[in-house]
Amino acid sequence: MMRRLIPVVWLATALAIPGLRVGASASLPSARDVVASMVAAPALVDYEATKVLTAVHEDRAETVTVLESYKRLGRLRLEFLSPESVSGRLVIDDGVSVWQYEPSQHLVIHGPSFVHTAEGPERVEEFLRSALIAVLGTEEVIGRQTVALAMETRDAGPSRRYWVDRETGVILRTEERDARGEIVFTSFFTRISFGLNLPSALFRFTPPSGARAIDLYESGDPVSSPEALQQASGVWVPPTLPFGYRFRAGAVVHHGALTSTSASYTDGVRTLTVFLTPSSRMAFPQVGVPVQMDAGAARLLDVGYFRVLMWQVGSTTFALAATLSPSRLLLVARALAPRQ
Amino acid sequence: MTHARWQRQLSAYVDGELTPHEAEEVQAHLAQCESCRAELDRLQSLKSLLGRLPERPVPETLWTSIRAQLDRPQQSWIALVEQWLRGVVRRPALAAAALALVAVLVAIPLVRGRLERLRAAELGPELYIREHALASASDPFLDRAYLGLLISDAGLALVGAPREETKESR
Repeated sequence: MMRRLIPVVWLATALAIPGLRVGASASLPSARDVVASMVAAPALVDYEATKVLTAVHEDRAETVTVLESYKRLGRLRLEFLSPESVSGRLVIDDGVSVWQYEPSQHLVIHGPSFVHTAEGPERVEEFLRSALIAVLGTEEVIGRQTVALAMETRDAGPSRRYWVDRETGVILRTEERDARGEIVFTSFFTRISFGLNLPSALFRFTPPSGARAIDLYESGDPVSSPEALQQASGVWVPPTLPFGYRFRAGAVVHHGALTSTSASYTDGVRTLTVFLTPSSRMAFPQVGVPVQMDAGAARLLDVGYFRVLMWQVGSTTFALAATLSPSRLLLVARALAPRQ
Repeated sequence: MTHARWQRQLSAYVDGELTPHEAEEVQAHLAQCESCRAELDRLQSLKSLLGRLPERPVPETLWTSIRAQLDRPQQSWIALVEQWLRGVVRRPALAAAALALVAVLVAIPLVRGRLERLRAAELGPELYIREHALASASDPFLDRAYLGLLISDAGLALVGAPREETKESR
């Protein structure tokens, strides 16, 4: 009974957002249509824009301004403007690999792409199955009509709100709130130009002369089952974790002498990654804040968008990275305990 | 039998070391071969020359010294160590230097391993952040610009050039 009530209560809460024109609901698209337009957008439009990002790290917020250009299919160019520590940084993702140029170091880092192209209708269905999604109303953002959408996973954890451009499906504004309703991340465009058919050359990286270049491809070949991961690394991970997370992919990750086994899980929307590192290869990290676990001392690192919980059992250092709250991370960590 | 081999037989013939049958064969060959006859003359004159050399007496001490070497017992490894230790006592500075060198050679891999573990403790969280951010890219609604910032910050830290603010905030 209570489980049935959760979506109703959540929707009522989500709708109680000031500033949204819920009265225009007669002309509102369905949640399915909005999600479908968001999923399809990367295949339909190019844009060039200025974006402001704000992430909260523990008690501190950092705001970053970036010029963002996107070209179909899956090409992205980011030129960071501020703060000073990132000013001049250039990131170009051509859909296959990503190039990062750091002017202060005269350094180029080359690694795997993080831009995915448009996905099919099955992804829309997965979102609708995995999350509570509601259209909240319409709102104008930088002079464009948007549909406000609330999305929350069924475990009532962190929630997201999107302001989706009605014409193109591009997300013009994002808010992420933690389980207590506090905003932990926002991003919004301050200006955007669509349909420019941006030149391909803008998304090709030419290394500046004399720059030091480093390749950072740390992940080995991905495997698609916990059994295959165990075969590849000798490490056991469960097929499922609390809050509806199920195994998606795993790999053995190398960086110099440091070797770790990673297993990523999804609840249909978000990603959770488990890392298992032999303690013989790595001393226990001292970053973040100390937290207490049944297994002993642990550390929690707040990255802003997600958190990393690290603890040690026997000869293995465990780490969990996810957008979950610290208490939920601890519950997931406990679920990893029986076979440790 | 080749000619070269006949010539090798001649030395044994001069010394009377051949069987009667072999000696007859050599004689038959000598009757036909002029160069072997010449070689036989050369060998016989050399033998008579050597026979005319005076005999020298062996020094009396030679056998004594050979006997002493034969009678000496085999040195055990313990004796060798004792001998080495006596050397150490005589040259303490050299011995200390040798011991220090051995200690350094043993310590280098241990220290390097420990430093690598400590360095890994600094890099491990950055590796986790980067790999998790890359894995999160499968969520199409995540903000790409922020993912790019996280991945590029972690990449810089991994190559030993962390962004100042990132370091301060952690």
